[in-house]
Amino acid sequence: MSITEPSNWFERDPLWFKKAVFYEIHLRGFYDGNDDGSGDFRGLAEKLDYLQWLGVDCLWLLPPYPSPLRDGGYDISDFFGIHPDYGSTDDFKYFVDQAHQRGMRVISDLVMNHTSADHPWFQESRTDPAGPYGDWYVWSDDDTRWSEARIIFLDTEPSNWTWDPVRGQYYWHRFFSHQPDLNYDNPEVQEQMLNVLRFWLDLGLDGFRLDAVPYLYERDGTNGENLPETHAFLKRVRAEVDARYTDRVLLAEANQWPADVVQYFGEGDECHMAFHFPVMPRMFMAVRREDALPMVEILESTPSIPEGTQWGLFLRNHDELTLEMVTDDERDYLYDEYAKDPRMKLNLGIRRRLASLLDNGRDEIQLMHAVLFSLPGSPVLYYGDEIGMGDNIFLGDRDGVRTPMQWTGDRNGGFSRADFQQLYLPPLMDPVYGFQAVNVEAQLRQPNSLLRWIHRLIALRKDHPVFGLGTYEALRPENPRIFAHVRTYEDDVVLCVHNLARSAQAVELDLSRWQGSVPEEMFGRTRFPAIGELPYLLTLAPRGFFWFQLRKDEGE
Amino acid sequence: MTGERELIEFVTAQRWFGSKTRDVAHSKVVDRLTLRADEPRLELLLVEIRFDTGTHETYQLLADDSLDALADPRQVRELVHMIRGGAKMPGRGGVVEFAPVSGFGGELREARPVGAEQSNTSIVFDEELILKVFRRLEAGINPELELLRFLTEHGFPNIAELFGWYAYAGRQMDATLGILQRFVAGARDGWERALDTMGEGADDFISSVRRLGEVTGSMHSTLGSDSHDPSFCPEETSTESLGLLTATVDEEIESVFLDLPDDVPELEPIRGRGEEVRERLRLLTNLGGTGRVIRGHGDFHLGQTLWADGDWVILDFEGEPARSLPERRRKRSPLRDVAGILRSFSYAASAGPLLRGVEPPADWEARTRAHFLDGYREAVEQSLVPSGASMDKLLSVFELEKAVYELRYELNNRPDWVRIPVAGIVRMLEEEVPV
Repeated sequence: MSITEPSNWFERDPLWFKKAVFYEIHLRGFYDGNDDGSGDFRGLAEKLDYLQWLGVDCLWLLPPYPSPLRDGGYDISDFFGIHPDYGSTDDFKYFVDQAHQRGMRVISDLVMNHTSADHPWFQESRTDPAGPYGDWYVWSDDDTRWSEARIIFLDTEPSNWTWDPVRGQYYWHRFFSHQPDLNYDNPEVQEQMLNVLRFWLDLGLDGFRLDAVPYLYERDGTNGENLPETHAFLKRVRAEVDARYTDRVLLAEANQWPADVVQYFGEGDECHMAFHFPVMPRMFMAVRREDALPMVEILESTPSIPEGTQWGLFLRNHDELTLEMVTDDERDYLYDEYAKDPRMKLNLGIRRRLASLLDNGRDEIQLMHAVLFSLPGSPVLYYGDEIGMGDNIFLGDRDGVRTPMQWTGDRNGGFSRADFQQLYLPPLMDPVYGFQAVNVEAQLRQPNSLLRWIHRLIALRKDHPVFGLGTYEALRPENPRIFAHVRTYEDDVVLCVHNLARSAQAVELDLSRWQGSVPEEMFGRTRFPAIGELPYLLTLAPRGFFWFQLRKDEGE
Repeated sequence: MTGERELIEFVTAQRWFGSKTRDVAHSKVVDRLTLRADEPRLELLLVEIRFDTGTHETYQLLADDSLDALADPRQVRELVHMIRGGAKMPGRGGVVEFAPVSGFGGELREARPVGAEQSNTSIVFDEELILKVFRRLEAGINPELELLRFLTEHGFPNIAELFGWYAYAGRQMDATLGILQRFVAGARDGWERALDTMGEGADDFISSVRRLGEVTGSMHSTLGSDSHDPSFCPEETSTESLGLLTATVDEEIESVFLDLPDDVPELEPIRGRGEEVRERLRLLTNLGGTGRVIRGHGDFHLGQTLWADGDWVILDFEGEPARSLPERRRKRSPLRDVAGILRSFSYAASAGPLLRGVEPPADWEARTRAHFLDGYREAVEQSLVPSGASMDKLLSVFELEKAVYELRYELNNRPDWVRIPVAGIVRMLEEEVPV
């Protein structure tokens, strides 16, 4: 590193991820820089001005590695390369550097649990059981072993074991049968995975979203999830990262109950972040039932997490809206409300985008974002949701929520100059969500657009580290339709009040502790009456919300 | 050790402290490096100033017994010596590196501070060298160093030559701390010259502005001339780039109008007209091409130019101090710089009577503008800017952006000057939209 050509464009901040807004990008669908119908790193680099304007702090890339793409790239066939559709390793480095220069960090998905069946390691392993890779996967003659482990892809997989006629044994896979699990009991596998991490961190990557981490090990008499061995390996990963790099982040994807997920933070010595899965379906439930209780309860039952760690919060992502972490009754309710067409269901979830889940209701979309941004954790946006893109449930698997980003009203939605037939997926063209109705260019120019509103929301959140760093305290007003809470960090006290109802509501809040403070509404900076001795009365529009900064009254 | 209150009191009282409207809660020294251990001792401090919401800014202090060692000529001479010697000074959390560009001999004798600066502190030595110490630090290379080096390497003559710089690389951040360049002796800055000649000699000034247009155009051509350097290569604008520009300016207008104080009578002509201004922006941004985007000066106005020996020298490539470093490093249309200088002609025309008691000739601003644009159009690489009405419209968009920026700046810093951007905004509302 030289002083005049800095490679470091960030002020040191080991807790940056706690204040960050994340933005998940489906590289294939973002922007096509070489006119071949598929998004790539050169294209993504061209759109960095947009992302810089949007104000997001960290880009999360779906797996960019070589892959036969039978599972959206989560079936990796080479951990040390870039899929040729996306460009070269140099293109990747250029993109990361350009993102850094614009003040944005980049993390990438990494699947440690399994590889593609096409991976040379697996091919070696099945053809040469005694060879160097013979023990890199989980082989058995008995396909009844570990029957306590649930099947995750219920719709396609009858078993976690699949017979391999070449080796004449069953191999273990927690996901698709074309994704054999690596054998973490083999120290060489562990070592190689650490090499993978180092390789990408050396190229400048700011961290990883660790896909499917609960399943690294298998043990008799267990369901094979969240095992102590798995945590021990993740601690080793963290120690390696901390020893050699600064300000990097490990974000665990563990679709589990909060009490199990917190294990992935260790004692602050495992993952920096983990997704909070259970809170998300309850947000959808709360807004449909007009009842704050599901959210208040799940947050109450969420254990506190070590200092220096953070929840990742999201409304939607590239997968189905997963309903694994709800009760059966709750799941039935959510299916009834949000997946009226059976085509909308996938596995234990609903494969739709945010806008279409909320019937394209602008107030509902904003309310859900406001709730998301107000909760303790770092919000993760999914590309296209900032303009209210829809989905196409007639496309297979999860492709319906992975259609091309809609940049303009021009051909192919401005996503690609390739022939329409060449596109990896057709862009949305329906009259409500199609690119002629919903696109970045139009929404940039329209002052009241969803995009412009999200932009302001992000800017506001970034001005107030309290949202990322502060304490959370639920207020429990008598009116159950109101979700209200207070966030506090240093001298910044923020009161968030959300009306989950379709009708206007009044609420009385006990704010006696802040008596004398003046609530200042944070978007319009309007001062409200000072907090006095009596309960504080607020009225809220249907699906409306207020965020107030409670200012100590210093006169004007 | 220096106390927290002492640091806050010192920093917030400085002219270069950028966040005067915010409440400071805490401060701390994040690194302290000894530049000279012998008497007089000299230390470099990186000080973090934390606001009540928990965000912070980092400032550079040079300290001896006081927190303002730059007031002592012996101390600043020491900094120049260290640049000349290419010194490297390690500290607890990082290292300060001094780097000379080319030899400059002789003993330094006289040092004098330059008054009235916004965001940094400058000291002139023997009327030959000027050391600029950046106060507010951000991670990354300062655009001033970046642009001066680029322009020097690409043979653009109308700048003050770079002699060296010093920078910090450490745990907390990598940042440019200061630069040393040629002091243009016997020069008068464009702003002073405009005011001084407003009564008599206006014609001389106005015709020299044509040359300023040429120099500006050729500066932009140079800045857009290297397609191999990713930091500088000119880029085609994307389909949504005009939308990005519109959104950015529109939000600035909205936010400034939201914050207009009730008790400033000078604001009357624009009070309640925020929507009208935004509507005007929408009309102006209906345009065809936008040309290309390049790295630009970033904060171009008459005060950043010098008239010396019959030609112009361009200074201060830091960009607008209120914007973040990634924002200042962004490629933009070169017309943004042009709009900046056009706005400063407008400032000068209003400031003449205010500061000098001299009324400019009625057509002073119009003629100055026309001369500048003539020279500019002739010298600038044509592919960088749009043509015809699109150029006029895009220019108006940037003038509007600038006037709104000025409005906020004046409200916070110089309430007496508020009426100048106000008049500018009113005039733009009344003008015909170019077709």
